[in-house]
Amino acid sequence: MAKHNVESEVTGSVWKVQVEVGDAVSEGDVLLILESMKMEIPVESPTDGTVAELRVEPEEAVQEDQVVAVIES
Amino acid sequence: MSWAKEVEELNRRRELAKQQGGPEGVAKQHGYGRLTIRERIDTLLDEGSFQEQGKATAIPDYDDDDNFLGFVPANYVLGFGRINDRRVVVGGEDFTLKGGSPNSAGLRKSIYAEHLAVQYKIPLVRMLEGGGGSVKSSGRRGGASGGESVFGEPRFKIICDAMGEVPVVSMAGGAVAGFPAGRMAASHFSVMSAETAQILVAGPKVVERALGVDMTKDELGGAHIHAKSGVVDNVAATEADALMECRRFLSYLPNSVYTRTPRSACDDSKERMEEELLHMVPRDSRSVFNMRTVIEMIVDLDSFFEIGKHFGRSQIAGLARIDGQPVGILANNNRVYAGAMTAEAAQKYRRFVELCDTFHIPVVNFIDQPGFMIGPDAEKKGTIRYGMAAVAAAAQATMPWCAIQVHKGFGVATAAHYAPNAYVLAWPSVESGALPLEGGVAVAFHREIEAADDPVAKRTEIEERLRAARSPFPRAESFGVHELIDPRETRPALCQWIDWIQPQLDELKGPVRFTMRP
Repeated sequence: MAKHNVESEVTGSVWKVQVEVGDAVSEGDVLLILESMKMEIPVESPTDGTVAELRVEPEEAVQEDQVVAVIES
Repeated sequence: MSWAKEVEELNRRRELAKQQGGPEGVAKQHGYGRLTIRERIDTLLDEGSFQEQGKATAIPDYDDDDNFLGFVPANYVLGFGRINDRRVVVGGEDFTLKGGSPNSAGLRKSIYAEHLAVQYKIPLVRMLEGGGGSVKSSGRRGGASGGESVFGEPRFKIICDAMGEVPVVSMAGGAVAGFPAGRMAASHFSVMSAETAQILVAGPKVVERALGVDMTKDELGGAHIHAKSGVVDNVAATEADALMECRRFLSYLPNSVYTRTPRSACDDSKERMEEELLHMVPRDSRSVFNMRTVIEMIVDLDSFFEIGKHFGRSQIAGLARIDGQPVGILANNNRVYAGAMTAEAAQKYRRFVELCDTFHIPVVNFIDQPGFMIGPDAEKKGTIRYGMAAVAAAAQATMPWCAIQVHKGFGVATAAHYAPNAYVLAWPSVESGALPLEGGVAVAFHREIEAADDPVAKRTEIEERLRAARSPFPRAESFGVHELIDPRETRPALCQWIDWIQPQLDELKGPVRFTMRP
C-alpha cells in the first residue's frame, strides 16, 4: 500500500468536499473543489485507490502546497 | 629511426585515460545507481558518433629518473558527437575521479567546452556532476598562483556569451554544487534525474558550519525542491530519460542563432478540426477548463514538450510543432489562480520569451489572463516588477508572434501576451478590459452600490447587466483583432500563418538585442 499526498496547487478556501473516507476513486476523479480567485478549482486524485484521509472541511482556508487529502493505492 | 616508440606510448596513454577512476571508481559510481560520464555520452549521442577532444589530457606522475609511472586522467570528458544526425558538443565531469572537482586539465577542458560550441556554431550539452573548486587545490603550498591574472577574461563570460549564440542544455545526474550548479542555471534547458541528482549552491557540511542546519543534500537540493524553485526546468525519472529530454529539446532548436529553426515533414492534417474545442471554454466564468488539452488538440499530434511545469504553474510554456514548424507555446493555466501572472509565472514567461527570441522561434500564445496576481503575498513578492519584465520581453521581441484570445484578457498583465506585429485571433468566448467585471463593478459603481437598500443585490444586478451586454463581435467589426474564429478553426488558421511567416524566418538570423540570460 502506497500513500499519496494530495496537495492544493493554490491558496484559497474549500468550497465542496465530493468524497468520503473509504471511497474508491480513480485517477482524475474530483476529490474536492476549492475556491480561489473567484474560480472553482477541482482537486483531482493523482492515482486509482481509496480515500484514506480528508484533512480539510468546507469553508476552511487552504495554503498552496498544503496536503488536503491522502489516497492509498 | 621511426617514431614508433612515442606512438606506442601515446596509445598506452589513450587507453589509460579511458579507465577513468579505475574499476573501483566505476563500481562505486554504479553502486550509487549512477552512470559514468562515458556511459552518459554514449546514451545521449547517436551510436558511435563521439569524437573526443583532448584524449590524453592528464596529470602525469614521474619517478626521480623521469620515468612515467602513470597518470590521473583529466576529470572532464569533452568532444563532438551527433544527435539525430546533427553535430553537437558534449562534455561532463568524471565523478569517478576526485569526486568531479576539477583537476587542472579537467578545468581547462570544461571551460573550453563553451568556446568549442560557440566557435563551431553548434549546440552544447553538459552532463554535470561534481562540486566545483576545493580549498585543497587553492591552498596548496607552492602550487597556488593567487588566482587568475588581472588581464584574464572573467571565467563566466563565455558561459553567458554562449547563451546568446548556441543552444545550451544541462543535465544533472548526480550532486551538482558550486561552479557546476552555476552552469546548470546558465542553460536554455535543464533537466535532473529524480532519484540521483541534487543541485546545491553549497552542500550539507558547508550549510551545517554556516547556519547550524543539519540537512541531507537531497533535502537541500533534490528534485522536489528544484522543480518548484525553477532552478531546473524538468525532472526525469532516470538519467537515461533525462538525456532523452535533452535530445528532444534540441530537436526544436536551430544549431545556432545564425541558422533558422529546423522544419520537419508533418503527417498531421493542416485541416484537422477538433469538435471538442467548441465546448472547451465554459460559459460560466467560475468553472475551469484544461488548457493543456486545448494546446494538444491544436498543435501537431504528440509534439507538445512542456518546460518548467511545476514552477510558476499559472503559466504554461513549452515547445511544439505546427505543420512541422517548431513554435514556442505560451498559455495561461486557469486552474491555478485563474491563470493570474504571479512573480514566478512572470519570471518563467520572460525567460521563455527570451529563449524564443534568441533563436527566432515563432510564438503562439493562448491568452486567458485575468491579470497580475493580487493580494498581500503577491505584493510582498514584488509581482509588478517581474510582471513588467515579462511585458518588456514581449514588447521588444522580434520573432513572429500569434496571439489567440481564448477567454480572459484583463489588466496590464495582458500586455505581456502581445509582441509587435502580432497576428491576433479571437474565440467567441473572449472577455477583456481594464478589470474583470466582478472586481471592476465594485470599484466603478461604488457610490451607486453603497446608496442602494441592498448593496449586494445592486452589485449583482449591475454585474449581470454588463455581462449580458458583452459581445465578441465589436472587436471583429472594428478590426481590433485580425479574425474572430470558430475555436475548431484554430489549427487550420495557425497552419496558414506558419506558411505566411516562412520568408520572415528565412531572414531572421544572428544575435538579438536581448538574449536569454540565466
